[in-house]
Amino acid sequence: MKTSVLAFGLVAATALTSPAHADKLDDIIGSGTLRCAVVLDFPPMGSRDENNNPIGFDVDYCNDLAKALGVTAEIVETPFPERIPALMSGRVDVGVASTSDTLERAKTVGMTVPYFAFEMAVTANDKTGIKSFEDMKGKVVGATAGTFEAIALEKQVKEWGAGEFRPYQTQADVFLALSQGQIDATVSTSTVAQANVKTGKFAGISVVGKAPFDTDYVALFTNREEYGLINYLNLFINQQVRTGRYAELYEKWVGGELPSLAVNGVYR
Amino acid sequence: MFNYTFHWNQALKALPQMLDGALVTLQIALLSMLIGVICALALTGFRLSGNRVLNGFATTWVEIARNTPALFQIYMAHFGLGNFGIHLSPYTALLVGIAFNNAGYLAENFRGALKAIPDTQTRAGRSLGMTAVQAFRYIVLPQMLRIAFLPTTNQMVWAILMTSLGVTVGMNTDLAGVTQELNARSFRTFEFFALAAVIYYIIAKAVTLAARALASRMFRY
Repeated sequence: MKTSVLAFGLVAATALTSPAHADKLDDIIGSGTLRCAVVLDFPPMGSRDENNNPIGFDVDYCNDLAKALGVTAEIVETPFPERIPALMSGRVDVGVASTSDTLERAKTVGMTVPYFAFEMAVTANDKTGIKSFEDMKGKVVGATAGTFEAIALEKQVKEWGAGEFRPYQTQADVFLALSQGQIDATVSTSTVAQANVKTGKFAGISVVGKAPFDTDYVALFTNREEYGLINYLNLFINQQVRTGRYAELYEKWVGGELPSLAVNGVYR
Repeated sequence: MFNYTFHWNQALKALPQMLDGALVTLQIALLSMLIGVICALALTGFRLSGNRVLNGFATTWVEIARNTPALFQIYMAHFGLGNFGIHLSPYTALLVGIAFNNAGYLAENFRGALKAIPDTQTRAGRSLGMTAVQAFRYIVLPQMLRIAFLPTTNQMVWAILMTSLGVTVGMNTDLAGVTQELNARSFRTFEFFALAAVIYYIIAKAVTLAARALASRMFRY
């Protein structure tokens, strides 16, 4: 009896005196600002309008998340290779950056459930006569360094044992190299391919077909140990789909058939 | 606050791959120096030739090489020339960009070294009965090489470090390229970059020390 009273007293005392451990979710709500890492040379997911303001699916998604949290969103531009340094050095809270959820990467950062899914498409320089994925064998191909498709394409080139793979630092450089004929073809997400061909900035290239890579599911990410925040993000993604906001944003930025975020036959 | 747990074993496993990359880095740096020295000697000759066209060409080269970022020079070698239908592979573009930069800086080094040797020495040589060529060969050139040697090794170190800019033109076989790729795959940014920094440091330091040892043997009175 006595001991239990003492124990209760101790617990109560610790609860009152020691400062509660604030996790990242608390920090975001407390600071009133949500800082999102977004890639802004990756239309239609992220880009800039004529007035240099960030726009795109990922930008809207970050704004929605900030609204749900009751804070203001701050878009931090991060090129693909700088997403993780930005997170680790505390410059951003969450990555809304079309990040493929590979197991290798999940050893480093905490991934949510998928919030978007990409199909892969082949875009080729018209002069090369490449008409399909198989035609790329033996050619010089390129992709944006550090992306899902770059890793898959480089592996494929090694398997073919012919041709050359070149990683460029930005998506814009890939399409520039492609339209100049420095590379013959590229594999990118079909949304990005369509958006870039449509801009008319890159002459003489067209989308020629699908690439037989797995669907590229992309996730939001934050620090691996921030379970509270990851939990919240998972529910947020679920709500975006449930409320129809995901479909609305997809229609606004991409259009066409809405990709399913569910994987058949397995949980999560 | 830095919230990150280091996974060194994963980085160390990739060490052989990174060392292969370091060899490519060293190869590009050496080749670019070789080309750079030859071009720089020619540029120095042009600038001292008194011919206005040659002088103008050399001055333009040196001005651009010294007053624009190396990143710009390499990017132009790949995408700039690409615009005109001249396609250099990432390796060649990187080599051309760095060699261009080296030549600009080295030409100034050589010119400065030549200027540092008083004319009176050449005249003294001539008055001893040497021909102009002999006076240059036996009096001016050895001193010029001595003066220009250490600045040249500095440029070599600079060339090694500049190779890391190759990633902007799609280079993936040099040390920086290999590191970027390993990083993209696993997101273990800090391990791989720290390891790459150590390798760059070792190469650069080795070059400096070797040059100093060589200089103390070659340039004894």
